[in-house]
Amino acid sequence: MTSSPPSPADTRPDLDPRGPRFGAAITAGLLLVVVFLSLTGASVAALVGLAGLAALFAWGAFAGAGRHPYSMLFKRFVRPRLNPPVALESAAPPTFAQGVGLLVTLTGVVLGLVGVAPAVGVCAAIAFVAAFLNAVFDYCLGCQMYLLLVRAGLLGRPVA
Amino acid sequence: MDPIIALSLVLALVAGATVLGLVWRARQGRAAVVAPGATAAQDTPLTPADVASRLPFGANGTLVQFSTDHCARCPGTHVLLAGLAGQRPGVAHVDVDLTHRRDLANRFGILQTPTTLILDGTGRVRARIGGVPNRSDLLQQLDHLTGSTHDQLTPVTR
Repeated sequence: MTSSPPSPADTRPDLDPRGPRFGAAITAGLLLVVVFLSLTGASVAALVGLAGLAALFAWGAFAGAGRHPYSMLFKRFVRPRLNPPVALESAAPPTFAQGVGLLVTLTGVVLGLVGVAPAVGVCAAIAFVAAFLNAVFDYCLGCQMYLLLVRAGLLGRPVA
Repeated sequence: MDPIIALSLVLALVAGATVLGLVWRARQGRAAVVAPGATAAQDTPLTPADVASRLPFGANGTLVQFSTDHCARCPGTHVLLAGLAGQRPGVAHVDVDLTHRRDLANRFGILQTPTTLILDGTGRVRARIGGVPNRSDLLQQLDHLTGSTHDQLTPVTR
């Protein structure tokens, strides 16, 4: 005896879950470089780097996690070398997580542009922790943030 | 800042994130037993209406899964719980979509999906699992449920 799971048409499982983790590993590495640049006082380089990463997050957030450049790399070069995925997952949570990443990195970029240079490193460090947990521990930030935003009343309002 | 110090801070950041991840992973999927009499609210048996379920609860116990439509592991958890419930007579599985039920998410203090409540035959919450349930923890809880149906006052222990 069981009830039907919530499965709207746009959240059908169609994504190899290892794709977003592969992308998160690259992103985490690049964010660490930004943190290092920011700490060593290379403010301009750090700001440019974070702006580039924000643009990549925007790509994932608006085009979908499955159409992100890293996802393309994964499909082209990595997935053919791996075993088939155990199960496919919906692209909605990683796409949402890309939006969260965009928000965090864009905050750093904006603060950096108005002269708050340390914010670049701090925002890069925050985004790094999320990307690292995603890549190494398979933590799904999008899933958790989505629920917390529902609880805060910012998403998923009761259907009128 | 000196590059060596900067590099040390970067490595400390990686180490901190690793510790965070290990702690998170150790807690994921483990059944946290809800002791009877902890609070009055926890002792009140739940009804299907409390979780907006149109399906009845099981005579021996119910697995109440909380999901959203943005949840990578919820479909897999659904398959796992439905399978286990199907193997046990009198055990039901209910999947509650919190996407449009903020009130339920707040009432049950759900911080992540999937979260699973294990109810006994009377509808009282016996255990709670955050994340994809650990299969052996879940089986143990189900054994306690079916074994403790004659004596509802026996606390569930691991």
